[in-house]
Amino acid sequence: MPSSISNFEKRLRLPRLFFRKPSREEEIHGGPPLEFERPIPPAPWRGIAVAVTMVVIAAAVAWELYSRSLGYGPTLIDNEDLWTLRRRLVKPESLVIIGDSRGWFDVDLDEFQKGLGKRPIQLAMAGSSVLPALADLANDKNFHGTIICSVVPHLFFAPPGSPPMERAEKGVKRFHTQTPAQRASQYLAMPLEEHVAFLKPDDLTLEALLNQLPIPNRPGALVPPRFPPYFQTEDRERRARMWEKCAEPGSELAKRIQQIWIPLFPPPPPPTYIAKDVFFAQVKEGIQKRFADVTSAVEKIRSRGGKIVFVRFPNSGRLKELEDRITPREKTWDPLLKMTGAPGIYYSDFPDLSGFNCPEWSHLSADDSVEFSKRLVPHLRDALNM
Amino acid sequence: MLFNSLTFVVFYVVVVTSYWSIRSWQARKNLLVVASYIFYGAWNPPFAGLLFGTTAMDFWLGRQTNKARDHTRRRWLVASVCMNLSMLGFFKYGNFLLQNFQWLLARIGIVYQPPRLDILLPVGISFYTFHSLSYTLDIYRGVLQPTKSLRDFVLAVSFFPQLVAGPIVRAGDFLPQLLHPPRLKTGQFLWGLALMIVGLFEKIVLADTLLAGSADRVFGYPGPLVALDSWAGVLAFAGQIFFDFAGYSLCAIGAALTLGFHLKDNFRFPYAAIGFSDFWRRWHISLSTFLRDYLYIPLGGNQVRPFRAALNLVIVMFLGGLWHGAAWTFVVWGLLHGSYLVIERIFRVSFENKPWASTLLVRVVAGFATYVAVCVAWVFFRAPDFANAGRMLSGMLGQHSHGDAILSTRELLQIGSVTAGLIAMHWAMRDNTFETAVMRLPPWTIAAIGSAMICAIILTQGSSNAFIYFQF
Repeated sequence: MPSSISNFEKRLRLPRLFFRKPSREEEIHGGPPLEFERPIPPAPWRGIAVAVTMVVIAAAVAWELYSRSLGYGPTLIDNEDLWTLRRRLVKPESLVIIGDSRGWFDVDLDEFQKGLGKRPIQLAMAGSSVLPALADLANDKNFHGTIICSVVPHLFFAPPGSPPMERAEKGVKRFHTQTPAQRASQYLAMPLEEHVAFLKPDDLTLEALLNQLPIPNRPGALVPPRFPPYFQTEDRERRARMWEKCAEPGSELAKRIQQIWIPLFPPPPPPTYIAKDVFFAQVKEGIQKRFADVTSAVEKIRSRGGKIVFVRFPNSGRLKELEDRITPREKTWDPLLKMTGAPGIYYSDFPDLSGFNCPEWSHLSADDSVEFSKRLVPHLRDALNM
Repeated sequence: MLFNSLTFVVFYVVVVTSYWSIRSWQARKNLLVVASYIFYGAWNPPFAGLLFGTTAMDFWLGRQTNKARDHTRRRWLVASVCMNLSMLGFFKYGNFLLQNFQWLLARIGIVYQPPRLDILLPVGISFYTFHSLSYTLDIYRGVLQPTKSLRDFVLAVSFFPQLVAGPIVRAGDFLPQLLHPPRLKTGQFLWGLALMIVGLFEKIVLADTLLAGSADRVFGYPGPLVALDSWAGVLAFAGQIFFDFAGYSLCAIGAALTLGFHLKDNFRFPYAAIGFSDFWRRWHISLSTFLRDYLYIPLGGNQVRPFRAALNLVIVMFLGGLWHGAAWTFVVWGLLHGSYLVIERIFRVSFENKPWASTLLVRVVAGFATYVAVCVAWVFFRAPDFANAGRMLSGMLGQHSHGDAILSTRELLQIGSVTAGLIAMHWAMRDNTFETAVMRLPPWTIAAIGSAMICAIILTQGSSNAFIYFQF
C-alpha cells in the first residue's frame, strides 16, 4: 500500500508540456502554460477551518469577558494616527492644547469651550516633549491661533533622541506623512476599540503580559524603567479621563503608578561611554538650546498674531517633592517665561487652583479635571487678554 | 497597505469576495488590476502613476525587442535596462551617489556642496522594477514571447500580493497563469488562508513582538556592549529579518493562492544551510535566482577560469548588496557574502572528495559555521553605520568586558528560546517542505496550531511595524 507521502507526491504536478506547441489562446502570451502549481497538503480543510473559527471566537469572547471582569472597558487607544486626525482639524485661528499628559488629563474641553468661546483641539501627548508639536505649529505659516502649553520640566527639557522627544516626533511625522491606508486603518480601528475591552496596549498585549513576568534582571543591567499601566479612557476628541479604578481613594492601582513615577522622573545616570564632565556640559548646552528653540517658535507664532500661554498643572505627594527638587522652578519655569516673554500660570500661585489632589500624584481625576478646568478658565482669559 | 493592517483585512475581503463572485475572467483580471493599484496607491497615490509608466514602457520595449533583429534587439534591451535602472538609480541611489561624488571631489581638494535632493523612495521600487525587467530580459533571451495584452502585463507587474516586497515573480512565471481562469477549490483557498496566518504569525508575533524591540535597542545603543548583549542583539535581528521577510513572502504566496495564482517559495529553511551556496538556495530564492540567471550566468558563471568565476560571484553579491539599500554597509554585507562563496568554493575544490567531508560531524560544524558567518554579515546589514558595526563586532568578540548590559533577562530568554526554536525547526525541516510537514500532522493538531497562531496575533493587538523589506 503506498504511503501517504507517496500519495502526496503524486499530487504534486511536475513540470509539463515542455515541448508542446502552444495553443492559439496561449499564443496571446507566447510563453508556456502554467508549469508550476503549489502543492496543497491533503487534509479536511473545511473541518479544520470550522474548528479554528469556533476556537478563536470562543477564546476571544472568554478573553473579553475576563478583561471586563478585571474592570477594563472599551476605549480608544491613543496613538499617532488618532493624534493626526485631531491635528488635521487645526485651523488658522484654532485653540490648541499641546504638551504632556497633564495637559491631556487635566483639561475638560467642554469647560474650555464654555469659558473661552472656542472648542479646543487636544494635541497634548502622554510622556512627550512639547517642542516637536510647538515647532510644527510655529512652522505652519497659516496658524495664528492660541496655544495652551502644558509644562512638566522633566519632559519639556528631554534631550533629542530620548523617548519623550521620539514620541512627539513620531506624532508630528505621522501628521506630515500619513498614508491613505494608515488613515483608513485608524477609522476602522476606532469602532473596534470603542466596543472591545481587551484592546489595551499598556496591559493586555502579548508584549505587556510578558513584561509583567517577575523575572529578575542582571545586576547593573541598564534596563528601561517600567511605564504605567492603563489608567485612562479617551474619546475621539482625545479627551482623556482617569479610570475610576485609579481615582478611588486608597486605590491599589494609584499606589502602583505612584511607585512607577518615582524612578521615571529623575534624570538617567550619565552613560558609561561619555566622561561625566562632557556629559553634564552637553546636558547644560541641551537645556539652553531647548530654551532658544522654544523662544524662537513662540516668536514665530506671536509674529503672526498668535498667542501662547504656558501652564503648570497640579502634582502631589512625593512626586511633587521630587519634581521641585530635581527641576526647581527658578531653573526651569521662571527662565522659560522670561526668555519667551509669554504669560504663564503656575497652579500653586493661585489658591483656587492649589487645593487639588492627584490620586497617583501626577494627574487629576476625571471629576477634578472638570472643576480644575472651570477654575483655570478665568486665569487663561487674563493671561491671554481675552 | 500593510498585510498586518485593518485596511488590508477589509480590502482583502472585498477583493476576494468580488473576485470569486464575478464569472467573466476578463472582468476578474480587471478587478485585480484596479485592486492592485488601490493597494499601491493607498501608500502614496502619485507613485501609482510611476508604476504604470514604467510598466507601459517595458510592455512597449518588450514588443520592440521581439520585433527587432540582431544588434537592434540588444539596443532595445539596453533601453529597457537603462530605463528601469535609471528610475531605480534616481529614486533609490540619487542622494547616495551625490554624497559619494562630494566625498571623491573632497579627496582631490574640491569643495562641492551638492543640493540635498528631497526624494521620496517609492515603496517596493526594487521589487517591481525587477518584475518588469524580467519581461524584457526573457524576451531578449528568447524564452518568452511578448504578451499582446497590456492589461495582463500590468497585472503581472502589479499583482498586489507580490507588488511591494516580493517574491520577485518573473513575468514568464505569471503571464501564463493569466491564460485560463482558475477554479475556486476549497482546499487550495483554505490552504492559502493558512499560509497567510502563518506568515502573519511569523511577522507580528515572532519578528515584531518577541525580537524587534531587543534588536532595535542593541543596534541603537551608542556605547559599547558586553558580548552577551551584542550576540543577543545580532541573533534577535537574524531571527527578526527571517520571520519578517519569510512571513511577508508566505502572506503573499497565500493571498495569491486564495485568488488561484501560484507563486514559488521564497525561503526554504535557510538557517539549516550547510555552506553559503546552500544558504543562497534557501534565502530570498527569487532574488538569488534572478541574479543568477540575469547577471551571474551572462557574466560567464562558473564556466570560466577559477579567478574569473570568483570575481563573478563577488560582482553579483556586490550588486545584490547594493540592491538592498543605498549605503556602503549593504555593499559590505554583499561583499562578505561574495567572499564567503569564494572561500566555500576553494574549500569544496580542496576537500570535496575526502571521505571525512561528508560525515555528520563535519556537516553539523559546517552548518554552525555558516549560521555564525551569516550572523556576522547581518551586523553590516542592520547597523546604521560602520562605527556601529565596528562596535557590535568588537562587542561580539568580547572586547568590551566593561561594556554595558542593556537587555532584560526576559528579553534574553525570549531571544534564546525563539532562536533555538528557529534553528531546530530549520534543521528538522531541512530536506523537507512545509506542505509535507503539515500533511503528516493530524487534523486536530493543525486546528490547534492554527487557533493558537490566530489567538497570538489577536493578542498582539496590531502593535506591529512595517515589513523590513518595504524599504528596499
